[in-house]
Amino acid sequence: MSAINNNCEYIKKKQINITFDGKIYQAYEGDTIASALLRNNVRLVGRSFKYHRPRGIYTCGIEEPNALVQIISEHNEPNTRATIKRVYDGMEITSQNRWPSLRYDFGAINNILSPIFSAGFYYKTFMGPKGFWKNLYEPLIRRSAGLGKPPKNFRSKSTHQHHNTDVIIVGAGLSGLIAAKKFLNTKYKVLLIEQDSYLGGVLKNSNKVKSINGLTPQEWISETEELILNSKNITILKNTLVTTYNFTNHLIALEDKFAGKKIDLNKSELTLHKIRTSNTIIANGHIERFISFRNNDLPGVMLASSFEKYIHRYGVVPEKEPVIFTNNSSSLSLLKKLISLGCKPKAYVDSRKKDNIETEIKKFFKNNDIPFFSDAEIEGCDGNKKIESVTIRQGKSFTKINSSMLCVSGGYNPDIHLFTQSKGLVKWDKNILSFKPDTPFQKTITLGSTSGNYSFKKLCDEINEKLSIFKTKKVSLDISLNVPNKFSIKELWETKKKNNSNWSKSFIDLHNDVTTKDLKQAITEGFDRIEHLKRYTTNSMGTDQGKISSINSLAIVSKILKKEISEVGTTTYRPPYAPLSFAAIAGRSTYEFYDPERKTSIHSWHKKNNAIFEDVGQWKRPWYFKANENETMYQAVQRESKMLRENAGILDGSTLGKIEIKGRDALEFMNLMYTNAFTKMKPMTSRYAMMLGEDGMIKDDGIICKVSDQHFIATTTSSGAPKVLADMEEYLQTEWPHLQVYLNSITEQFSTFNISGPKTREIMMKVFPDIDFSNDAFPFMTFKNFDYKETKIRIMRASFTGELGYEIYIPPKFGLELWEKIFSCGKEYNLIPYGTETMHLLRAEKGYVVIGQETDGTVTPIDLNYNWMIGKHKKDFIGKRSLSRPDTSREDRKQLVGLSPINKKDIIEEGQHIVELKELPKKIKNPIKYLGHVSSGYHSPNLNHSIGLAMIRGGKNLLGQKFFVTVTGKTKNIPVEIVNPVFIDPENKRLTS
Amino acid sequence: MILIKCPYCGERDQSEFTNGGEAHVIRPTNPKSLSDKDWGEYVFFRNNPKGIFYERWVHSHGCKKWFNAVRNTSTDQILKVYKVGDKRPDLSDFENTLKSPSGEPFVGSGNFAVKK
Ligand SMILES: [Zn+2]
Repeated sequence: MSAINNNCEYIKKKQINITFDGKIYQAYEGDTIASALLRNNVRLVGRSFKYHRPRGIYTCGIEEPNALVQIISEHNEPNTRATIKRVYDGMEITSQNRWPSLRYDFGAINNILSPIFSAGFYYKTFMGPKGFWKNLYEPLIRRSAGLGKPPKNFRSKSTHQHHNTDVIIVGAGLSGLIAAKKFLNTKYKVLLIEQDSYLGGVLKNSNKVKSINGLTPQEWISETEELILNSKNITILKNTLVTTYNFTNHLIALEDKFAGKKIDLNKSELTLHKIRTSNTIIANGHIERFISFRNNDLPGVMLASSFEKYIHRYGVVPEKEPVIFTNNSSSLSLLKKLISLGCKPKAYVDSRKKDNIETEIKKFFKNNDIPFFSDAEIEGCDGNKKIESVTIRQGKSFTKINSSMLCVSGGYNPDIHLFTQSKGLVKWDKNILSFKPDTPFQKTITLGSTSGNYSFKKLCDEINEKLSIFKTKKVSLDISLNVPNKFSIKELWETKKKNNSNWSKSFIDLHNDVTTKDLKQAITEGFDRIEHLKRYTTNSMGTDQGKISSINSLAIVSKILKKEISEVGTTTYRPPYAPLSFAAIAGRSTYEFYDPERKTSIHSWHKKNNAIFEDVGQWKRPWYFKANENETMYQAVQRESKMLRENAGILDGSTLGKIEIKGRDALEFMNLMYTNAFTKMKPMTSRYAMMLGEDGMIKDDGIICKVSDQHFIATTTSSGAPKVLADMEEYLQTEWPHLQVYLNSITEQFSTFNISGPKTREIMMKVFPDIDFSNDAFPFMTFKNFDYKETKIRIMRASFTGELGYEIYIPPKFGLELWEKIFSCGKEYNLIPYGTETMHLLRAEKGYVVIGQETDGTVTPIDLNYNWMIGKHKKDFIGKRSLSRPDTSREDRKQLVGLSPINKKDIIEEGQHIVELKELPKKIKNPIKYLGHVSSGYHSPNLNHSIGLAMIRGGKNLLGQKFFVTVTGKTKNIPVEIVNPVFIDPENKRLTS
Repeated sequence: MILIKCPYCGERDQSEFTNGGEAHVIRPTNPKSLSDKDWGEYVFFRNNPKGIFYERWVHSHGCKKWFNAVRNTSTDQILKVYKVGDKRPDLSDFENTLKSPSGEPFVGSGNFAVKK
């Protein structure tokens, strides 16, 4: 058994070194990993997904189901197809899914246990006992089934590129190049996309084509490429694979910028092309399929045209004396090439009847003394980790031949993936025994073997005819061939086993380890619809999407069901055509570019003062400030909360959404959008307001400042601002276009500080000595504008803590300076900065709700005892009608209450249930009556015990009653009393002082 | 990704738009006069046909304008776009592509890949 090198124009004879599983091998520049390994007689390259069976290189391209490897030298890139990945000097590769080593793989015991791993085994085998799936089965399966390991420490620099073109040609093989030639120097903008690093496609796979217009294929390719490069309207993208064909002629293609080169981590290694086109021409050829027989997965079995491709593209003959097994006429060129190289196949097995086999082939065997079996098939092959012998069945006799390689051709499938992704319909063709494109859904044209035309001679006519919708010239080429032009094939999908045995399997899906027996079993179990069968057996669900086998499985299923293949139908071809790296999809949207970070004008001060930040939407908000290294969050929040109620605290509230509402009909608009009545509200006053959905449920809240009937300023929650603005716009544009109102988001135009606490007035008087902050001059819920230095500021008397408080609005440019000034003035009053957590604690003490915490889209203002906010005399506002729906006005809706523990040391946890039981049963058999849940729970440093806000069924009528709150991990509940949710200053004395 | 023609900006990627559900559902001018059932009908119920559908879109990452579109929901083809307030196009303006009993057109829908 040995491979030989032959001359090949695409391989530069420059030797380089690669390592595979730690061993160094010599390769040539231009090799793929697979061709380099074959050159070194490495046949075993991986272990299979489920049974850990030894696997080798099956194909020579994108369709490879077996030879998936991990590239250590490229940030541990897993599941790389060895058959397309080009090598470079120093490349480090390992095999996958084996332990401890490829040759001695412990998981191979799965092969012996295989009867339990049959179709649907995941669903059947691992049913119980309870908890075993999560703790035992799943980790075990995850370790033993699978492929490569994920990359490590990798920051992708992939980029995205957009194209708009008139025509895109997928594939620069013979058909693609002829099509491109027609578009030369026309008015059409054309993008020609080729997955390889050179043009030519099928012309480079074999020597079937002798000459084109008197030139050798290579000369013709070079001439055509030159013409395209010199044209102004055609662009070529090489090393680029079209993976996706979406609606409205939107295609996605992945370009490998470092094909055959070591990746430079400072550069973009992948480019994702997003292409909009008017017309799509698909000319990406065909894919050879295999035949199922006993042990058709042994290393050494290879598709015949792939074997041929290795000779022509990489200058390596994987084996001098292989056995060739075919059911069609395409393998003649391989046979001829082998003999011209002085190699002699051990046998040629053709399933066609002798009369149907081309005379030229038959003549060959006679002249070259090659054992020839017609009307015969391979029964199976045997060997340890590689083929050692091949058994041929001819009629009733069996012949065993020793060989280490078996070339198989089961026919060709037009590569219809992209066509079906585009939602075109395919049709079964009895002549080629495969599906081919029929009715396109989009502006899609398929050419050459993609369209099911396997005749080189008819190619030009086909292309001229199909492209006649474009204003292009006719092309005519004189193509002469080394082989007969006519394609002939005999139907054969699976050969019969001589003996039945569990150990030797006949595979239908090599990638996912699905056998033909699994298909039969699944049908017996009732999975006779192809989409169900696919999911039950996992057939063609691997990363190769069953490219060499899916049509075979349809055929085998149709035979069992005694139906036509077209009746069985195909499964859905889904994008991507081949695996698409997540790095490419993400592009530059990673890490700090993934989502913008929004910072307030005070951010640098917060950082300097040991703020710990919290993400609120895209905003970074101080969560709490650490007084010292060892202070925990709990300690910090307790400290901040106590200090504020004793002295004063300041919060950076710049993130609060702010929307300006202006125009003739602003008042009417606001009356419709919010529950509150704004008509009688005095100018320069403000009000806490709620916005509902049409279903009556609370959507957002905020403070509305009325400047005049034509001018309002609304604040929203920090994360709700974009949605509130969008909703307002929607109503204005779609329901009330007659209202003259203009909206503007002014969130970023102001830095906002919320300063509150009993000492606030003194601090404010010191910061702004010219302003009268007395209660009479500046009462609660009013606001005023002032000149401040060279800018204007707005100060509002409002509070979210329950203490005396002011909000200051200032352009961000002056924000930090004012913030620092407030601190220097506030020092003698022990002013502290506080974060969002303290804000939440303080508002809970005061019984104020947080949208999204107390509310969850099923809460009305009435449920929160906020009836006073509802403008009952208003004719209409969004959600008003729903508040009187029977369900919304139910007495036993969940309503807001406060919880106070009876034993003051008990802690009320957020999210716990409120129940009537003192203790939960050890085993819960019947559902336990549930009254509601704790929506907020804190330890109040000002009351010195735990408090809770809760949403409880009919809670308003339960004040003073005793219930129980569950505790994490315990059956003993804590007793609580239902109380008024306002724990601090229920008379609002502090607010209005 | 489908291409949508904003009546104000022209053709743009779908990712620039947000779908707003069924079009021509008019908010009642006097909600108070509606029975609970009729009001519930307006708030909670929308049509979701397989085939030709009148729906609302907003060019949310563009001009932020709302407009209406006629879409074949089984093929995702947008057959017409028109501005808010424009007359609703008649169903007979569009080719009836609902050919099979399940309402699937032959070409372009997910379920029939093979021509019978
Ligand atoms: Zn627009």
